[in-house]
Amino acid sequence: MDSDIEMELESDNDGEFDDDYDYYNTGEDCDVERLDPKRADPEYFEYECLTVEDIEKLLNELVEKLNTILQITPSLAKVLLLEHQWNNAAVVEKYRQDANALLVSARIKPPTTAVDAASTSAAAAAQLRLSSSSGYRTSTASSSTSSLTTAASGNPQQQQQSQPQRRMCPVCASTQPNDKFYSLACGHSFCKDCWTIYFETQIFQGISIQIGCMAQQCNVRVPEDLVLTLVTRPVMRDKYQQFAFKDYVKSHPQLRFCPGPNCQIIVQSSEICAKRAICKVCHTGFCFKCGMDYHAPTDCQIIRKWLTKCADDSETANYISAHTKDCPKCHICIEKNGGCNHMQCFNCKHDFCWMCLGDWKTHGSEYYECSRYKDNPNIANESVHVQAREALKKYLHYYERWENHSKSLKLEQQTIDRLRQRINTKVMNGSGTWIDWQYLFNAAALLAKCRYTLQYTYPYAYYMEPGSRKNLFEYQQAQLEAEIENLSWKIERAETTDRAVLENQMDIAEKRRTTLLKDFFPVIVKT
Amino acid sequence: MANMAVSRIKREFKEVMRSEEIVQCSIKIELVNDSWTELRGEIAGPPDTPYEGGKFVLEIKVPETYPFNPPKVRFITRIWHPNISSVTGAICLDILKDNWAAAMTLRTVLLSLQALLAAAEPDDPQDAVVAYQFKDKHDLFVLTARHWTNAYAGGPTTFPDCDSKIQRLKDMGIDEHDARAVLSKENWNLEKATECLFS
Repeated sequence: MDSDIEMELESDNDGEFDDDYDYYNTGEDCDVERLDPKRADPEYFEYECLTVEDIEKLLNELVEKLNTILQITPSLAKVLLLEHQWNNAAVVEKYRQDANALLVSARIKPPTTAVDAASTSAAAAAQLRLSSSSGYRTSTASSSTSSLTTAASGNPQQQQQSQPQRRMCPVCASTQPNDKFYSLACGHSFCKDCWTIYFETQIFQGISIQIGCMAQQCNVRVPEDLVLTLVTRPVMRDKYQQFAFKDYVKSHPQLRFCPGPNCQIIVQSSEICAKRAICKVCHTGFCFKCGMDYHAPTDCQIIRKWLTKCADDSETANYISAHTKDCPKCHICIEKNGGCNHMQCFNCKHDFCWMCLGDWKTHGSEYYECSRYKDNPNIANESVHVQAREALKKYLHYYERWENHSKSLKLEQQTIDRLRQRINTKVMNGSGTWIDWQYLFNAAALLAKCRYTLQYTYPYAYYMEPGSRKNLFEYQQAQLEAEIENLSWKIERAETTDRAVLENQMDIAEKRRTTLLKDFFPVIVKT
Repeated sequence: MANMAVSRIKREFKEVMRSEEIVQCSIKIELVNDSWTELRGEIAGPPDTPYEGGKFVLEIKVPETYPFNPPKVRFITRIWHPNISSVTGAICLDILKDNWAAAMTLRTVLLSLQALLAAAEPDDPQDAVVAYQFKDKHDLFVLTARHWTNAYAGGPTTFPDCDSKIQRLKDMGIDEHDARAVLSKENWNLEKATECLFS
């Protein structure tokens, strides 16, 4: 739903933006004032939802382009692009500068040896074309072409040429004719069967374009076409291609898989930042930068830290808070594991009452006289345990609110269902038409949106350093919370609330939200 | 078990038997059963290390996908080393994990393990307690490792001081291994070790 219909008039809007700007929101009220959405809405985000086919086409075009410039095979072009975040220009520039270094860094060639260093860049380029066209498919030991021998010169495997007909594969230890052997640019050659089994084992483990040579300490990468030449089982070929595609997409900075379950959509945006993208197919909303649930105003690192903390600590924290207290005398943390409320601290042997933490002796003979609850009077005494409990209290304060809003959001669907029922009843009773009550849905959706942002302000506040900025943040947070509660109250009592009053409240809540985001959601844009 | 794995292991077995290391008695390998899936390795502690003079027995399990996946290796002989668990004998070594290559052999594995004994990597520890001692109290680490070599791997150097402390704990009804482990962990502080055992 689009709630930003009434956009704040920005005095600092200098109107330097293009007129033909593709508006994100062509809402009904846009005729009031044409504003650049980028400026007015801190959450404005431009992106496209693409299918696997679209992406394949897009990637293939990039590969094609590089092929025509550098005259290399698609398989090699893919590896080079993958290593350079699909930046064609960067690959071409590096190639022109030092083709050899480029191939070494992309793990197409082994690190430069003395022989290789002597060869010029042009020779390396020639080698590149050779090795990418048919080099590794031929047995190196057969040395059919002179250039191939050069490519693999200085390699110990080449010394086995004394027996040119048959030789032993170092992996399976069987002797086979030479034409069964394959090797990469590094010259380590192994028999066809070993390569095939090796590829299948690797693919089975989810490795695709990162498959390396089988030799010890050799890092040279196996290109796609060798894998696809040798692996013939359709299942494994499919798997390889799927994994490879995933790796290609992941290496492309502008592409993100939609995190929705079983969703095939890939989202593309030229603006790489922590803003919300919503999949057009499964409607999953997520942060474009990290792929997690959208988390404004908190940034990606903080939210990750927070979620890990919650996953690690919440159970322990809840348990500690529910089942333990600090000894009033020595402040050691005590777990109550029996029914009796007469506690004796195992550490300092102090006798006290679990209920009121008072000295047990003052209880006298009257059991449970202590219905009054008192704060621990020694809280100022800052022992380690007290501090630990303070820290826990702080965490629980934020965690409870975070949890609460998260639960409220889950209940939102119920609110909407109830709302629909109520509207139905009204329409049946003849008070207004269905259309007349549509604004209530808008209100509910806006409420959900505001709650969502409010939920994510808690991890942000938790990690904020104390100071004036935090004070300001918490002030704005409190304002937002108050307006959200107002809105919620008004939606619950929609029958007795005037539409104008409700819409005014919607506007106020949304403005509070936008203001908070504008001040505290610094989006760093990488392009 | 896959045919290739068996033929490879058979060949490697011969390779180790023929190698010059076996002549020097620094590595050894033997079969545990007829199926070639489990082997027993032995490496000598490298000279000029706390492990010198000790013989360390290894359990080697060969997976079906060998040599495309690494063999599973652990120390049967107890050892005090940052990259080897003092409790289970599990080893933290790259070539036994991600950096395994199909062209590697049992011989290279045994030699790499020997090299690991000579050059520990405390920044990538398997046993955090040992690694901490290695970095923080190196003299004590050397003493402990030597003592363990003596106690479990037949090393030559004895430490009467350590033995008497272990005896004290044994007199309290503690198992010898446990006593040694706790004392090693507590930097041979008898008081702390006792506290750790009885609290």
